Amino acid sequence: MHRLSCRHSSSLDGASVGMADADTIFALSSGHGRCGVAVVRVSGPASPTALSCMAGFRRGLMPPPRTAVLRSITDPHSNEVLDRGLVLWFPGPHSFSGEDSVEFHIHGGPAVITSVLQALGSVPGVRPAEAGEFTRRAFQAGKLDLTEVEGLGDLIHAETEAQRRQALRQMSGDLGRLYQAWSHRMKRCLAHVEAFIDFSEDELIDDGILTEVDRTVAQLQAEMEQHLKDERRGERLRTGVQVVIAGATNAGKSSLLNTLCQRPAAIVSPIPGTTRDVVDTALDIGGFPVLLSDTAGLRDSSDLVEREGIRRAVERLEQADLTLMVVDCSHIPADVQPAASFLREHLHKLMPSDQCLLVLNKTDLIADSQREKLAVGLQSVPGLPPFCLISCQTHQGLTDFLTALHSRVKTLCGNPLSGSPTLTQARHRTHLQRSVAALAQYQRYRDADLALAAEGVRLALTCLGRITGRVGAEEILDIIFKDFCIGK
Amino acid sequence: MLRKKVPRLLQVFKRTSHCDRQQYDVIVVGGGHAGTEAAAAAARVGARTLLVTQKIQTIGALSCNPSLGGIGKGHLVKEVDALDGVCGRAGDWAGIHFSILNRRKGPAVWGPRAQLDRQLYREFIQSDLLSTPRLTVWEGSVEELMVEEPNPEKPGRHQVTGIRLGTPISARSVVLTTGTFLSGSLFVGQTSSPGGRIGDAPSSAGLSHTIRERLGLRTGRLRTGTPPRVVKNSVDVSLAKLHPADLNPTPFSFINTQTRCKPEEQLPCYLTFTTPAVERVVRENLHLNCHIQQDTKGPRYCPSIESRVLRFPGRQHQVWLEPEGLTSDLLYPQGLSTTMPPDVQLRLLREIPALHKAEIHTPGYGVQYDFVCPTQLSPALQVKSTQGLFLAGQINGTTGYEEAAAQGLVAGLNAARSALAMPTVMLSRTESYIGVLIDDLVSRGVTEPYRMFTSRAEFRASLRPDNADLRLTLKGFEELGCVSSERYKEAVRVRDTLQDAMAALQSLSALPHIWKQKLPNIEISENKSGELTCMNLLLYNDVTIEMLASVFPESLSPYMEFSQRLKIEAVYRPHCDLQKREMARIQREETMLLPEDLDYFSLPVSLSQEVREILDRVRPTTLGAATRLEGMTPAATVNLLNYVRFSNRKNKIHNMCLRT
Repeated sequence: MHRLSCRHSSSLDGASVGMADADTIFALSSGHGRCGVAVVRVSGPASPTALSCMAGFRRGLMPPPRTAVLRSITDPHSNEVLDRGLVLWFPGPHSFSGEDSVEFHIHGGPAVITSVLQALGSVPGVRPAEAGEFTRRAFQAGKLDLTEVEGLGDLIHAETEAQRRQALRQMSGDLGRLYQAWSHRMKRCLAHVEAFIDFSEDELIDDGILTEVDRTVAQLQAEMEQHLKDERRGERLRTGVQVVIAGATNAGKSSLLNTLCQRPAAIVSPIPGTTRDVVDTALDIGGFPVLLSDTAGLRDSSDLVEREGIRRAVERLEQADLTLMVVDCSHIPADVQPAASFLREHLHKLMPSDQCLLVLNKTDLIADSQREKLAVGLQSVPGLPPFCLISCQTHQGLTDFLTALHSRVKTLCGNPLSGSPTLTQARHRTHLQRSVAALAQYQRYRDADLALAAEGVRLALTCLGRITGRVGAEEILDIIFKDFCIGK
Repeated sequence: MLRKKVPRLLQVFKRTSHCDRQQYDVIVVGGGHAGTEAAAAAARVGARTLLVTQKIQTIGALSCNPSLGGIGKGHLVKEVDALDGVCGRAGDWAGIHFSILNRRKGPAVWGPRAQLDRQLYREFIQSDLLSTPRLTVWEGSVEELMVEEPNPEKPGRHQVTGIRLGTPISARSVVLTTGTFLSGSLFVGQTSSPGGRIGDAPSSAGLSHTIRERLGLRTGRLRTGTPPRVVKNSVDVSLAKLHPADLNPTPFSFINTQTRCKPEEQLPCYLTFTTPAVERVVRENLHLNCHIQQDTKGPRYCPSIESRVLRFPGRQHQVWLEPEGLTSDLLYPQGLSTTMPPDVQLRLLREIPALHKAEIHTPGYGVQYDFVCPTQLSPALQVKSTQGLFLAGQINGTTGYEEAAAQGLVAGLNAARSALAMPTVMLSRTESYIGVLIDDLVSRGVTEPYRMFTSRAEFRASLRPDNADLRLTLKGFEELGCVSSERYKEAVRVRDTLQDAMAALQSLSALPHIWKQKLPNIEISENKSGELTCMNLLLYNDVTIEMLASVFPESLSPYMEFSQRLKIEAVYRPHCDLQKREMARIQREETMLLPEDLDYFSLPVSLSQEVREILDRVRPTTLGAATRLEGMTPAATVNLLNYVRFSNRKNKIHNMCLRT
């Protein structure tokens, strides 16, 4: 029997878990990459609860406001010590967000960060922050001045873009397919329950569809719980800032990769189209983890294998945090203005993301005077991304290029949301847990109140939708009308 | 109390041609479900109101099915009633078969419904309108709208200043509720003729012209249909399944404790099914059916029998045989809407066993009509580009009496407020199905006739039929001005009593073993330590207020009148509490107004061209509506929010007409 009768529990506490917009949020506020201390911020009414149950303060006995205190940080359920670190308590409104807030300053290793984030996610009423949510709350509380506010939209744009790329990376993998499949099954369950609610009195809708929903919900619960228990979690997430080398064929992309990792990781040849698959290399650039990918040259090709390589290259480009757009500078027109138009058109054709560094390669093939002319002339051209002139052959200009690359990677890592699998994992985990809990609400009310049971499935779908994308009422109606003959 | 007002003398009506130039606050065009609620609401608010209709005797006519309410629709009827509208009371007067649908699926989705006596319904509506102070009714066909230059102080490109009905009649606001009459055509078989309902004259071409050409409003075309009416004596009901009404009829209206029809006088419905032969007749005669062959959008959820068998072949389809009235000799075959030629309709009908000797009284027919794309309306149902013009009902792309009535009430209310120089008002989707309906219409538009479903309401646990009075009657009196003081006083009494009762239920408690003794039939879990309150107990399925009152008679007996409502409140309260934060967020965003004349292309904030185009096309009235648009990004929302915040602060005087 998988059905729980309402009788066996006498309070509604069980039903309250998994609410989509419950209130207190947390996020890793320091950047990722190699760091000694990581800062995790919590904001909202349940912040004191999080502090008391994870740093061992009794209820009502909070540390003095805005004062760092050294504590053991423990998992609220297993009481296992996760780390020793500093905690700070900021009662609202004297905090960044204007709400009650807490900061955990913990050791910077990924394992520690992940465990603390997961522990926070299990505190009732606490959930991972959505993109820009801290800032938005600060804004709502009137904590930002006008100039800060003007940058807020851009910040949120950057954060949602970073999240979108992150999501794309994961959604193209097995994990993504798994979540999508769950979401799809939940959608059908919800549509069938809704059809039963809205139409079964007038229409021929067999009671059997609910039995089918019961079965699917039970299966989903079991599968999701199993998944949450599975520490391997199916797939290793690619870690680090994703830097993709792209450009036309034979521009020297693979040579750049080999130069950067100081070993012949990719085959280079003068034949256009040598690289056909994506070649990934993990690198450490100035202390920051980088996943560098060499891709097939972008051109129209009739070769099936090469076309697949190009498809993969385009897919990788869409997920990139930073694109290194490589151009053979011997193909660039000699004069500055035509050169600028050439580059602009080239970039437009190859569609790099807005985060782009232009690498003008093969300076050994042009005269020094020409190189100087481009270096100076292109600087004053508006609308071009930052550029470097290098030669992978002679290593001319390599130092400047590495400095530029380092500073770009550093900026990207400063954004805690870009390419941080630990945070994404914690977020996914919390949403999955709430989704499972909400499915229990379906079971609980299945016989007593189908409207409240449906509410459970709807909540489960909303929670999962925070990973896979939102599901609107219209989509549910579409399924209803596809699956049933509704005709009053 | 259940009552029907005594009609004044009919001569009040009969002023067709020789009217002098007159001035009204509000003119309502159309006497259907939207028009009657609009006119009544406008008059309740205090506006001198004129209702103009082609035929006075068709005011309150049920053009299609003889029933009111149902799942989702019942919510709308309760809400219209909570705002002191007419249709709920009319339903209680005219109902001849009451039932609560979804009885076993939870009170949030209960669907109060009634079969109606067509004649009684019409009579009630007509006499109610006649006895409404400040409301005048005229018979006539509106030739066109009077359009003038806009008032430069307000947004809008035009201003409607009245109607032409032979002579001009001026008004500060005009509400159009022309139903299917706007460029309507009727279809039977291969013939078509202009009109919006069989037996009635088509509406004036001038009206369509004004809307499209003069005011430049975007329109689309929709279709609907109705089944043939069958002679009752020719039906063999013994071959159909009897479907009795509820033993105790539940009234729609919060002010009625009983229905006019006595429980034992109610008439039954009958259920029967199509046969494979019906499908064959449809298929063989498709070429004779031009309505179904055209690609105008029809409703997916109220399809003709033709579309049902074509989309889901090889199945039995339900056909309900519904009474048309206490004295009527007709039956209404719900589910057999068709536009086949009359002889084919008869052949089709007779393939159903219970109808094997059926005679058709009036053949079924289809209607195609123009609707005005509702994204051109504000949440007050005012045309954004035209001062003084309001639209309600099928003209906005909806289907159904209840959807029409709900819009009519809101349009009439706002037409009156606008005419009396009060700010217009909106209902939020967080507080009512009416709000969900209007928000869906004005922010998403329609691609097929829009019908209410409970699944459209994201706060379904809070927006229940039982609490529509608490949600709307108080606000209706205190803020909107469309509710009488008697009804308000009663709602206040209900609210206060429920609050007292909930407090009592929360404070009365006992230890689990005491409860076990008192209520031996309830399985109370032993592992709970501490006392359990009455509120805790009510969460058990089988525990009723009556049981608790047997344990605490003196404390709870004063509240027995509300025993069912209290049980529902207790079960739903935790779920409603959880929705409150999300509701508050939506409400906050709904109070952030976007000026109607905003030039999104030159707005000095960071927005992509794509987002600017979306905003310019839809012109959302509030930030809340903007966030629900497809294609809006979080960043765009925040940038727009900044703009609204700072520009509102800077310039409070040049504010918009919407203020909640």
